[in-house]
Amino acid sequence: MKNMTLYVDKDSFIHNIDPLTKLLFVFLSIALTYILPTHLFVICVLAFTLLLLFTGKVFTYILPVIGVSLLLIISIIIVQGFFHPDRATLLFEIGPLPIYKEGFAFALLLTLRIINMVCAFGVLILTTKPDDLVDSLINKGMSPKIGYVFLSVLQIIPQMLAMTSKITDAQRARGMETEGNLLTRIKSFIPLLAPVVLNSLNDTRERSIALEIRGFNAKGTKTFLNESFHYKYGLILKIILIIALIAAIVWRVVL
Amino acid sequence: MKKNSMWSLHFTTAALVLIPAAIGINYLGKLFAGLLKLPLWLDSIGTVLASMLAGPIIGAIAGIVNNIIYGFTADPISFVYAITSAVIGLVVGIMAYKGWIANVGKALVLGLVVGLIAATVSTPLNIMFWGGQTGNVWGDALFATMMAQDMPLWFASFADSIVVDVPDKMATVLISFLLFKGLPKNLTHMYDNRSEIERL
Repeated sequence: MKNMTLYVDKDSFIHNIDPLTKLLFVFLSIALTYILPTHLFVICVLAFTLLLLFTGKVFTYILPVIGVSLLLIISIIIVQGFFHPDRATLLFEIGPLPIYKEGFAFALLLTLRIINMVCAFGVLILTTKPDDLVDSLINKGMSPKIGYVFLSVLQIIPQMLAMTSKITDAQRARGMETEGNLLTRIKSFIPLLAPVVLNSLNDTRERSIALEIRGFNAKGTKTFLNESFHYKYGLILKIILIIALIAAIVWRVVL
Repeated sequence: MKKNSMWSLHFTTAALVLIPAAIGINYLGKLFAGLLKLPLWLDSIGTVLASMLAGPIIGAIAGIVNNIIYGFTADPISFVYAITSAVIGLVVGIMAYKGWIANVGKALVLGLVVGLIAATVSTPLNIMFWGGQTGNVWGDALFATMMAQDMPLWFASFADSIVVDVPDKMATVLISFLLFKGLPKNLTHMYDNRSEIERL
């Protein structure tokens, strides 16, 4: 079955950190770039995040993920560079089009923030198995039912994709056109989607019966299949992260 | 059996299992829209359908989980819009409960309202995170034009979101409405926590 997640199975220091600590790091790293909006500071945060990716041996895997946001980044550089409200100082011209310094500086800041955001999530996503993250959250008090919902999505989507290719072939065999003008393509949307929807809703009936038979709604404490929460340095890393956040807020307020 | 309100936090197993299916439908909607090269995303059909079937709370959860999973599997930017998805689920659930999916005309109004609300929720996020843009070519072209004429940032950004969200959400709600009306009754009753008939 096709693997849905971006998790990269390697052995590194970052892989062995508590998922919740990494989750805290993600929010903190993003928050810091908004609390202290100077270029130098954001570059430092980004450099640190990249260092973590490097330590986790997943640096090359983040590049395609950044690639997904490339359109947004290009659009920001163009639009903010040309049309930022406080455009005054001319930086340089590309042909007849002027690029203004204020807009460019702002676009650069936004771009650095976006890349940092994607990389910070990358630290969590690329080095944490979703199962481990969900287990840790349930251990901290999240409802096991919500945990089930998260994990079952990752199982259901590959199943639905398999079903989809069958349905697409079946509908093509009946003469449905998937190419041609816009109207033809719009018309074939419903015949493609409706059977999958009906099938997957039918499956939920069986799935819920299967779950209830296995005590999904049972009252009482749920236990874990793998009782392994042996993460090192969890507490000390969390304390360091919180201190960094407080330091940044104090710095912002004082300076 | 007592009747539950639409805000009940007591979910049936069927309603909970509906959430992953809804997210799968979102995913496929986006896939088919890309495959058929349609000019819309159509990536919230499942969320809308789940709200129509099981109410606003399930719809909102489906929206949030959808964006988190999408963030985990493809594009971390989508975490930011989890709140928009949740609001879409809430609005559709409430309005469907109040009878706004009785016929095609009402469903189109519902789509319009959802589009406007989605744009309103997205605008502050867009301004905060990317200086007002959406990353959609047409919307951003309009944004650039309005900024060039020195219109206020929030107004340009709102217009950017509107041209992207309103047609997309109207199409999404219309498609979900057609799917919803086509579903057999024994299926739809399973999720409805108001129903007195079938309960697993």
